[in-house]
Amino acid sequence: MIFANILSNEENVKNSIKNIFFEVFPNLVETDFSWEKEQKDYENWDSFAQLNLITFVESKFDITFTLEESIDIKSANGLLKCVQSYLK
Amino acid sequence: MSVIDFLKNNVEKYPTKTAIIDDQRSISFNELFEEVKNFSDSISFLDEKNVITVVAENSISCIVAYLGIINSGKIVHLVPHEISEDNLSNQIKISNSAAIISTSSIKKSYSNYKSIKIPIFEFKEILSNQNKKSNKSKENEFAYLIFTSGTTSEPKGVSISHSMVKFTTKNIIKILKYSDTDIDLLPLPLHHSFGLGCVHSSLYVGSTLVLLKNVSDLEQILESLKKYNITTFAAIPATLTKLLKFDRNTLEKYFSNIRLIITNSTTIPKKTVENFKIILKNGHLATYYGLTEASRSTFMIFEKNNGREESVGKTAPQVKIKIVNEDQNNSKIGKIWIKGENVIKNYWYNTEADKNIVDGWLQTGDMGYFDDQNYLFLKGRNDEIINIGGEKVTPFEIEEIVKEISGIEDAAVFGIEHEIFGQVIKLNVVRRKDSNLDKSQILSYCIKNLEKFKVPSKIDFVEKIPKTDYGKVKRFMLK
Repeated sequence: MIFANILSNEENVKNSIKNIFFEVFPNLVETDFSWEKEQKDYENWDSFAQLNLITFVESKFDITFTLEESIDIKSANGLLKCVQSYLK
Repeated sequence: MSVIDFLKNNVEKYPTKTAIIDDQRSISFNELFEEVKNFSDSISFLDEKNVITVVAENSISCIVAYLGIINSGKIVHLVPHEISEDNLSNQIKISNSAAIISTSSIKKSYSNYKSIKIPIFEFKEILSNQNKKSNKSKENEFAYLIFTSGTTSEPKGVSISHSMVKFTTKNIIKILKYSDTDIDLLPLPLHHSFGLGCVHSSLYVGSTLVLLKNVSDLEQILESLKKYNITTFAAIPATLTKLLKFDRNTLEKYFSNIRLIITNSTTIPKKTVENFKIILKNGHLATYYGLTEASRSTFMIFEKNNGREESVGKTAPQVKIKIVNEDQNNSKIGKIWIKGENVIKNYWYNTEADKNIVDGWLQTGDMGYFDDQNYLFLKGRNDEIINIGGEKVTPFEIEEIVKEISGIEDAAVFGIEHEIFGQVIKLNVVRRKDSNLDKSQILSYCIKNLEKFKVPSKIDFVEKIPKTDYGKVKRFMLK
């Protein structure tokens, strides 16, 4: 049961982050989304979009990234790992 | 020509007509002039100085004191009664005021102010002075002195000349068509040029002025509209927006006799304008743009089919406005400069502030642009511009969008320092009492409706946005 809850929470976090990507990049379609896809492969992932992503995630999970963490995030997976490190 | 001449004209034309009504009494033009002369004679013992401070709530006594001081050839220094001791002490020092004239309750509350070294008199103490001396008008360039509370932290003394008062009053009457048949409801304080301008207009045309003390008492405002058959009503935009909590039929009934609602330059929510266009079956909502330093520089009468609900209107007669930007293009956002007989020549002993006046042009600190029909639109203040990695944003354009979100009562935007971008946007939000709105919902709306660099990077829910009496956000208090 506990294991199921942990799985469920992890799924929730993943879904939330994925949804945030679709919010910040409104032109992104399901087939174009990949956890490994990097910043350089996104058409509109510039420094302001990075700021929007960080802001959205910080608000959603009530966490605050360090400057280094904010700069290092280059993919959805990178963002997920960073969030997970705060939720452990 | 001064406001005393306005009054004298009415004494000749309508001596027994009611000039002013407050919560205690009413007074005719003739009686008002007699009280004004009596007041002037009663302050002859304060002759050694040029400025006298008046602190009072809206009342006939306050207007008698105001006119009495002007009639004696002195300058009235007007102060809000809720002023802090530090601010009052500073203003007294800079104005070199001879005394404070006030009500008994205000005098009592100021009695603990150790830093106030000048005498404080109640109105009745002044009038009971047994050593009255004829105190006929002397020539003085200035009528009154107000320290701008403004949206910045540094109050500046603004002295308004008799010729400025005359010029502005004539423009108000010409554009807004005040007449001797009007009955004007004024719940605005008299220590600000908006409220004071309304008094001058009533005195100029010989209409009847009804004073209320509390701008927040909506029920009293509505009752007064009916009780006195009010035809014009002066209100700040926040009052108008709050009135919309009453149902449409009720408001239409109470406002059926109103030919004019005049409001002032803080941005009026578009929905408020649209609603009052419908509510006022026999009148118009109007606004103006101006500063204490350049009163009533534009006028806007909201016509049913004109649109432009967010404009402050067209430039007032014999006033010039220019928009200064890199392109020298009036239709692009830039700094607003104003020139005209309504503009001060200097601040009150403030050479630093005087740098904002160049060849008669006043740099207002406001940003805006003209549309193709010469309607002016305000876009915040120059010193409030947020620079996010080279992208410049006015708080106003973000607040405008955020306030569209259902569940938001009020919002204020300002810049905070950021290690990479220099500045980023911080948003303070007041939620409606029944709202469960969360930050993600706000961000989601902002991302859909704003460019990326305009999306707030930090959001806080707060109880209240600090504002001036006239609804302008005190952004320096947010930082």
